[in-house]
Amino acid sequence: MAAVLEIRDLEVCYQGVIQALSSLSLRVSEGSIVALLGANGAGKTTTLKAISGFLPLENGRVTRGSITIGGEDVLKLAPHKIVRRGIFHVREGRHVFSEMTVEENLIASTFAQRSPRSRKDAFDEVYNYFPILSQRRNQAAGYLSGGEQQMLAIGRALVADPEMILLDEPSLGLAPLIVSEIFEIIARINREKRVSMLLVEQNAVIALKYASYGYVIENGRSVLEGPTEDLANNQDIQKFYLGVETDEAA
Amino acid sequence: MNFFIEYSIVGIASGGIYALIALGIIVIFKSSKTFNFAMGEMMMLSAYFFYAATVTYSLGLVAGFCVALAGSIAIALLIERVAIRPMLGRPFIAVVMVTFGIGSIIRGVVGMVWGPNDLQIPAILSRSPVMLGDIFIPGKTARAFAIAVVIVVGLIAYLRYSRAGVALRAAAADAITAYSMGIDVRRIIAFTWIIAAITGCISGVLMANVNTLTPHLGMVALNVLAVVILGGMNSIGGVLIAGFIIGWLEAVTGLMLGTEYREITPYILALMVLLVRPTGLFGTKEIERI
Repeated sequence: MAAVLEIRDLEVCYQGVIQALSSLSLRVSEGSIVALLGANGAGKTTTLKAISGFLPLENGRVTRGSITIGGEDVLKLAPHKIVRRGIFHVREGRHVFSEMTVEENLIASTFAQRSPRSRKDAFDEVYNYFPILSQRRNQAAGYLSGGEQQMLAIGRALVADPEMILLDEPSLGLAPLIVSEIFEIIARINREKRVSMLLVEQNAVIALKYASYGYVIENGRSVLEGPTEDLANNQDIQKFYLGVETDEAA
Repeated sequence: MNFFIEYSIVGIASGGIYALIALGIIVIFKSSKTFNFAMGEMMMLSAYFFYAATVTYSLGLVAGFCVALAGSIAIALLIERVAIRPMLGRPFIAVVMVTFGIGSIIRGVVGMVWGPNDLQIPAILSRSPVMLGDIFIPGKTARAFAIAVVIVVGLIAYLRYSRAGVALRAAAADAITAYSMGIDVRRIIAFTWIIAAITGCISGVLMANVNTLTPHLGMVALNVLAVVILGGMNSIGGVLIAGFIIGWLEAVTGLMLGTEYREITPYILALMVLLVRPTGLFGTKEIERI
């Protein structure tokens, strides 16, 4: 299948010297969910920031390699232009505008739309996936629960009608029940709207369950990749990411 | 008693212009955490542009105002692009010093071009006094007040309800997230400088009409500092009330205690309010959810 996103041999440095990625390659094909697994500091979030163009805002820079969206090189594009190409980054920690209402949060995201779309259509779609947001539409987003804030963060992505969503730690700090509720909706969005997802997740169990393909990153390079059912049976993955005791480990 | 009411009304009326200037300072502060100490000089320069257009080049009042407005916006965008944008992310105090410097440069250049003497701009406001019952309000002050309040309320409503206003608040709250949603934060910052140029131009022309035009016209912005502190740095809506309070306080202390006190009372009030409410009267604390 055609690739929405392709990263080849990516090297990223912060402040000119600190190497965060050394040689990372990955590919997300149309309509798929791809998981990035790896320990803290392996370079998962840096990968997402490189794609969405945030690195220059944090003193980082791509020093080698390429990132293409639909075959087009996007390395030189500013972040607000990249999102208008259809790649929406839902940041780690949700980052809702806490003093603005739920609806104003959604309005802010209309700047990300690739093609004009009526506000009503866009918001109706968000409220269809997340009915609770409809009830809270006039509340300040800061007063939503953590799960609702995550829903709003994903809802803002929906407003943009993207081709692909970069999801950074959507389960962070949420109760297990809420996590599975949110992942069910993520899977529905992927299925119904054919939106590809690149998922960074500490919770490897849930990442492997919902993604179809996965990459394992260590020290800024991908060390292992494959369909998630293969990864789930891999002994190293079981030991280091799933916490399963294997014979070898014992 | 009538005297007191008249002074009060005149004070509140001049507070309308304070609110207009304060609004220009606050929108820039909100978008980029830059405190623009050159606001008073931008306003004074606009008034000189108006003088040049209407007196030197004998344009009509409307055409002259449009020229002054265009010139003010051009200068504001130039300041933003050349002096402020390269300073983004630098310490707050460094950026403040840059705006101070720009203010001095403008004052100096205006002094060189137009000289230090008082100039008279064409009267755009009628002198005929407005009577409220048997209370006398000077015509220019009353009309300047009306214009200022209409502009301030209009701008507040625009920033509150328009899509551009939402983008401004989003960029102010969290620039990286705003970028991630397609908002060009640097354009938003430039946009706030345009708003400041507009409020500065209107208030400058009004101010030069009520008083006379000198290179020191911009000093009034120092009184506005008290308005901004009192209303709350992040409260666009608070400026109007705070402007009225400060204007009224100045006029009334001038009447009751003598003019030497009118300069300091706004600051004493601002200081007292800060002790009780560090965010100002209408400033909000950020909602923190743990």
